[in-house]
Amino acid sequence: MATREAGKKMIMLKSPDGMEFEVEEAVAMESQTIRKMIEDDCADTAILIPNINSKILSRVIEYCNKHVPTTGATGAAASDTVAPAALAEDLKIWDAEFIKVNRATRFNLIQAASYLNIKGLLDLTSQTTIDTISDNSLEEIRSFLSTKNDYLPEEEQTIRRENQWAFQ
Amino acid sequence: MAKAATAAAAAPLHSGLPDEIAIWEILVRLPPKSLLRCRAVCRAWRSATSARDFLLAHHARQPALPLACGLEDDGGSCYYLAAQHQPVARLAKAFYLCASCDGLLLLSKRNQLSICNPATRQYAPLPASSAFIPLGMYRHRPTGEYRILLYKEIGLPATDGQDACHIFALGSVQPPRSIGSLQEAEQLRFSGVPVPFRGNLHWHLNKHWYLQKYWYLPENHESRSNIIIVFDTTAERFREMCAPVVPDHHKLFEMDGMLGMSSFNNTWPIIDVWMMQEQDYESEVWTLKYRVELSNADLLLVQFGQFVDYWNVVVASCDGAVLVLVKFGKSILQFDIDGKLVSFHHKDLLVTQHRLKQTLVPHTFFPRLDGHSVNAWPFI
Repeated sequence: MATREAGKKMIMLKSPDGMEFEVEEAVAMESQTIRKMIEDDCADTAILIPNINSKILSRVIEYCNKHVPTTGATGAAASDTVAPAALAEDLKIWDAEFIKVNRATRFNLIQAASYLNIKGLLDLTSQTTIDTISDNSLEEIRSFLSTKNDYLPEEEQTIRRENQWAFQ
Repeated sequence: MAKAATAAAAAPLHSGLPDEIAIWEILVRLPPKSLLRCRAVCRAWRSATSARDFLLAHHARQPALPLACGLEDDGGSCYYLAAQHQPVARLAKAFYLCASCDGLLLLSKRNQLSICNPATRQYAPLPASSAFIPLGMYRHRPTGEYRILLYKEIGLPATDGQDACHIFALGSVQPPRSIGSLQEAEQLRFSGVPVPFRGNLHWHLNKHWYLQKYWYLPENHESRSNIIIVFDTTAERFREMCAPVVPDHHKLFEMDGMLGMSSFNNTWPIIDVWMMQEQDYESEVWTLKYRVELSNADLLLVQFGQFVDYWNVVVASCDGAVLVLVKFGKSILQFDIDGKLVSFHHKDLLVTQHRLKQTLVPHTFFPRLDGHSVNAWPFI
């Protein structure tokens, strides 16, 4: 396994379109899925990440790089000088910028966060979708998620009646 | 065509989300009302979101938020969750909220107890129970039953050991059964809402209780003032544990897997928050975790009116952040951990110590109770 700077362990991640990304083990372990692979010793060579193309994977790595806890040699120095509250505020602003992407990219990020099991990224990427579903009409939800209405009109009416209070 | 299909399998650039992700990552996080609406989107969503395992996962993700209630002009009542401006339920009558557990509310009106689920809009009166006063509600894990801990007043004073505690299982045809007596049973009625934690209910004994009730302090009262009464909901037995030594006006609560206790020390406007980590539960070790000083408190008094009283202070956690609710005048003000005002609610509401963790999980006891109704009175 490759090592770089002060003995930091590196991991190779491969996307299905053939791109390779070398990342610090601690960064890769932000993903619970990858953490499990490493802990189970299934990660000797490069880890192939199925279903996540290089464009999305690079963004996921960008997120993990930013969110990896700052512990260890450099991390201790950083937390001595920067107050945790300021750090959290900085992360919030960074997250808000990070999520300014189009709908297709966001959906791909949700899928990636779900597969890789990265809780923070999943919370961040799914929140806007949750808000959209909470605030919009059924037609808008269907078109937003490209979901087809397969109810007969009278069936839809029955379901609406059953849950009438939810439509008020 | 074949080439396109392979590419899609490798990296699906779906313009929507696959059903599995939409259901298990998005729909499972929706508030109950939005989820019910989504059942009308398509068949797949309806059947997936009606399955019991989905509904249990959905309930597990719901936040446990403090409940506030208010009276409507027409004599009805409404229930709000902290930090939300839309009510979770409006009821045609002003009920007294006795207990809350797993999204179910135990209500009382002229000694008639009833159970309701605001999310499914189910309501049912409980069998005649006027001799009993509810102390708490819990899920009995060995049987999965929801049970109510009741107190039956036999005689005064409370110290004669005659006050008996009873248990009633929701949906049961048996009358409440006695589990014996507890010296402090009557006092539990005046010690606020029990706090569920690690499968137990907790009450902090209120030392002013004797004063309120009898206008005297028994000789041994100091030694009994720093105790938490614990009801083990599996064994259905009482025991005691130590509370931190705090000044007057303290309240227990549960937050992020920890037992907490908020207290006002005498220097207004400071609220101390003591916490007990789960691993310290057996050793009963408390630590002073936060000291919240309300910013610009004097200005708030001018803007919103008088601070009401300590019973209207609630500490809770919402989306991983600690929030402190305090009632000033007729408004509920919400502060963050630094004592900064985050938002306020102008409607005249009472902040309760009850939490509501909404649920759409169906319960078999509802249809078994006489007078069970869905989407009908008292829901408006």
